[in-house]
Amino acid sequence: MTEGGPNTDQEGINRMIEVSGLTKTYGKKRGIDRLNFTINDGEIVGFLGPNGAGKSTTMNIITGYLSANSGAARIGGIDVLEDPVAAKRNIGYLPEQPPLYLDMTVEEYLNFIYDLKGVKEFARKAHIAEICELVGLKDHYKRLIRNLSKGYKQRVGLAQALIGNPEVLILDEPTVGLDPKQIIEIRNVIKNLGKNRTIILSTHILQEVSAICERVLVINNGQIVADDRPDNLSALITGDRKLVVRVAGPKDTVRHILRSIEGVQFADVTVQSEKGSYDFLVEAKPNVDIRKPMFTALAKAGYPILQLKSMDLSLEDIFIKLTEDKKKVKTSQNKQPKKAKPAEPAAETKPAEENDSFDSLDVNMSGADFDFDEKESEN
Amino acid sequence: MLAVYKRDLRAYFTSPLGYVFIAAFLIITNLVFLVTNLLTGNNAIGTVYTVILYILIIIVPVLTMRTFSEDYKQRTDQLLLTAPVKASGIVMGKFLAAYTVYCIALLFTIIYVIIVAAVGDVNMASIVGNYIALLGVATVYISIGCFISSLTENQLVSAIATLGVFAALFILDMAYSLVNVDWIKTVLYWVSIFRRYNTFYLGVFSVADFFYYISISAVFIFLTVRVLEKKRWS
Repeated sequence: MTEGGPNTDQEGINRMIEVSGLTKTYGKKRGIDRLNFTINDGEIVGFLGPNGAGKSTTMNIITGYLSANSGAARIGGIDVLEDPVAAKRNIGYLPEQPPLYLDMTVEEYLNFIYDLKGVKEFARKAHIAEICELVGLKDHYKRLIRNLSKGYKQRVGLAQALIGNPEVLILDEPTVGLDPKQIIEIRNVIKNLGKNRTIILSTHILQEVSAICERVLVINNGQIVADDRPDNLSALITGDRKLVVRVAGPKDTVRHILRSIEGVQFADVTVQSEKGSYDFLVEAKPNVDIRKPMFTALAKAGYPILQLKSMDLSLEDIFIKLTEDKKKVKTSQNKQPKKAKPAEPAAETKPAEENDSFDSLDVNMSGADFDFDEKESEN
Repeated sequence: MLAVYKRDLRAYFTSPLGYVFIAAFLIITNLVFLVTNLLTGNNAIGTVYTVILYILIIIVPVLTMRTFSEDYKQRTDQLLLTAPVKASGIVMGKFLAAYTVYCIALLFTIIYVIIVAAVGDVNMASIVGNYIALLGVATVYISIGCFISSLTENQLVSAIATLGVFAALFILDMAYSLVNVDWIKTVLYWVSIFRRYNTFYLGVFSVADFFYYISISAVFIFLTVRVLEKKRWS
């Protein structure tokens, strides 16, 4: 892949992590399927995907815990399989379940990690103290790990990954199981760390990605569905088009008014929320802001809006959306005009049909990935 | 390797395991020493050493059951295998930690030599030979135990399976004296760790038999390394 140097491309940006054609099968099931991506020095990249999408598998392969059936992973130009010890020296890894020896104190454990990683560049005491300060473990330094709460165990796991100041940090769901305050703290820690390191973190929480990451790789069924900046992606995936409106008024009349507004693609009652008012799900046509016309129309008719919010999208919605967009790109490229577009909006609004359409989208994803590859190489 | 060794050795003594092992070892050897030497006024300590050979069948499984199984269970194998160390370093560290605990237990038996030497004659050459042999034979026991522990994440399964293997070796050893067919006898002699001890018991230091022990344990340590390396392909 790289020709200019061991791990440098033409612009002189260091490619810290290179993954090419990575495939891992568990029996007949494919964990990940021909995964390709490159992460440059200093990037904070989020792996976003539902459970079982292949995030942990990918991370385990990059860190050398598992081997891929085919393909290669390189860290700083070193192949993880060819020279595992050298490659692992550059990596700090926090697995999904922090690998802690419960019978040790935080102090003993971190000293053990210091020895295990064979750190020589940093003075032991100062280095460990600095890391404890960073992740907020100072007051728990002498405590037995067994007695720590989940949040603090997570911090010890993070501290462990940081020992030796590795250039690459790989964090598998670093905020899972923490309370909201801790989540914010850990996110800040990670953000700070990212100033001079390359970080991959996996999550299935959307907000986390937009809070920390500079780049997002969306993974589903072992394949990359999207690779973009979070703000670009969020333009694609925000719920602006779907709104939940609570209106005080008779439901049939209000529905009629809503449907008559220009730009509204779909409107219907979901539930009766309070007495005399109903929640409506309103979907706008693409690139139309219907909030203002909706307000004027309802105000004119004398039905006040009690609440207006955009509908939260679940990860599944996003995948449907992402894959749907890829399909549109494809149809416009005349590659596969067979899949008819009109079926999609209906599928999106009627949950009963969602499963069917999801399957067909899955099948299409390999094609979608291919599209993405093309895009990447153009860059 | 040193880091793993230090951690494991420490773990033996922050949990009851190390103490239980040493205590069990010493209770039995003390009783044997009391009966065969002190009460009868006998100066031949050889019996104690032979008994140690059989005590190990029962207590080594306890010593080695957690070496790898516990790491699998706690998921700390993920830490060790993603750290910049070789699998062989991890295995050697764990093996040597268990071996050290055994050596500590064995160290206490030197008291018997001192007691006997204080009141009578001892054949020093034979005793040194016996200790070297006991150090050698334990590498076989412990490497087999480590190997079995590397196969399962359940400590209990590991202990019982190790005990089973040792019992099988013991039975093969008994079979040696019951069988009259020459070639079967030869095969049985290959696998009999106990039979080989006889030369040491008789006071002959056999280099060949000592290297037999070392080679067998090298094979099992190698297999354990392979098991760890194979894990990533599962």
